[in-house]
Amino acid sequence: MIEVKNLRKHYGSHVAVDGISFEVHQGEILGLLGPNGAGKTTTMRILTGFMPPTDGTASVAGFDVMQDSMEVRRRVGYLPEKVPVYPDMTLKAYVTFVARLHGVPNYKHRVDEVLDYFGLLDRRDKLVRSLSKGLRQRLGLAQALVHDPPVIVLDEPTIGIDPKQVIEVRDIVKNLREDHTVLFSSHILTEVEQVCDRVVIINEGRVVAQGTAKELGQQFKPQRQLYVELDGGNAKAYEKLLNGLNMVDKIEAEGRGYVLYVSTTDQIQKPITRAIADSDFTLVELRQLDVSLEDVFLDIISKGNHS
Amino acid sequence: MKAIWIIFRKEVSAYFSSPLAYLIAFAFLLMTGIIFNNDLALSVTVKSVDPSLIPDFLSLLMVLFAPLFTMRLLSEESREGTLELLLTAPVPDYSIVFGKFLSAWFYFSFLLVLTLIYQVLLVTFSYPDFVHTTAAYLGIWLYGGATLAVGLAFSALTENQIIAAFLSTITLFILWIGDLAGEIVASIELARVIRNLTLQGHYSTSFAVGIIRVEDVIYFAGMMFIMLFITVQFVESRRW
Repeated sequence: MIEVKNLRKHYGSHVAVDGISFEVHQGEILGLLGPNGAGKTTTMRILTGFMPPTDGTASVAGFDVMQDSMEVRRRVGYLPEKVPVYPDMTLKAYVTFVARLHGVPNYKHRVDEVLDYFGLLDRRDKLVRSLSKGLRQRLGLAQALVHDPPVIVLDEPTIGIDPKQVIEVRDIVKNLREDHTVLFSSHILTEVEQVCDRVVIINEGRVVAQGTAKELGQQFKPQRQLYVELDGGNAKAYEKLLNGLNMVDKIEAEGRGYVLYVSTTDQIQKPITRAIADSDFTLVELRQLDVSLEDVFLDIISKGNHS
Repeated sequence: MKAIWIIFRKEVSAYFSSPLAYLIAFAFLLMTGIIFNNDLALSVTVKSVDPSLIPDFLSLLMVLFAPLFTMRLLSEESREGTLELLLTAPVPDYSIVFGKFLSAWFYFSFLLVLTLIYQVLLVTFSYPDFVHTTAAYLGIWLYGGATLAVGLAFSALTENQIIAAFLSTITLFILWIGDLAGEIVASIELARVIRNLTLQGHYSTSFAVGIIRVEDVIYFAGMMFIMLFITVQFVESRRW
């Protein structure tokens, strides 16, 4: 649905996007992940027809963002980072305005429908200025969906709202998957991990990694981590035993047990259990820790900065 | 075309849902009322009623008021991020600019219609020169449109409403007072050229005395066209 090839955007001498390529398939939620200033917003602005790229191509639903800007804009619902609302309009007037700009047929019905969907129907005659930040965000989503676009672009939709509302917004986004293709940007990793099917990590205007959260974890994590908890001795003795295991690079105390950093890809649970069984201690717990996207992210970003 | 209408409707309702719109209307009527009464008092003994009184006064007032009417229109959109909403909607850029301009012109027309009350009053006890008055009103209507177009262009230029208003007031004031420059240049030809560029030069000696000249209509229409064209360029430059 979305195809980005070698996209470049310069602001004067500043390079915001430096040759980004990725694809978003129909019915997929793609997370665009990166630190602030990585080029997420610029990429989205190009895809929504707000600004032309300096170089490269981008297309939405088969329409080029430069050649068929109007066709692209008709098919994209966009929620910018700063929710574009008019404080002095009523909710209904605002969504109606957007619906009419998009030429929605039978817009009166559709406006009520979308306000209802986001639980804003009973507030429709209130002024937008009276809304809390979370409700404003919902209104922003209502606005982006009013013309029922096949592609939805959301720029950091969970920024600056309270945790309960963050969960709400994430659930809404997850539900969009059924009939929409979603491009979602964030700098929060757990969020992308939860919401998105696939992740594109960008930093300083370039794609540094892409894949599912799982793939990225496997691909980029050099070390595996295991959590071990023992009983029947003291800390010193545990540490001596664990440090003595030759496949373990490093141990770190955590909670009541230890995290072992292991670099081999071999089966390691068995030798560890055996070593513990041979000692006087009892094994309380042994499990492999999932590599969080956070680790991958920091790993990649810091590598990028060193090179 | 439809997009122009949608934008126009939104902006008109924005004008009329703001208390400021009614305050401005009140101030308009208060000021023109004082001028009218003053003229009326003089006309009892000293002179006859001035048929272009109100439009003449507005030709100065619009230099100060047009920037206030237009300063919000585009700079606020840009500041609040709503310009992103408009520019990613499937409507051409010019329709946004035209819709906004027409709404400001409509609001000005509304104020102008309010001042017609004085003409109605005049008819009840006098025999005013209607043709003269009509020409003056037509003139100030076009004049007002041109000043609003200038204001809109500056509103597109900056995100700061105060700066937009300040710059357009200065520009309009220079355009207004420019014909005085004709008095200090030695060359008559140059003075004529300067005068032809100014707002007053196309109003005070034609519309204001009851004459409708094609060149004046073209001047004001051209001014609106050029300023709106510039505004569209400014809006498009926001995309870069």
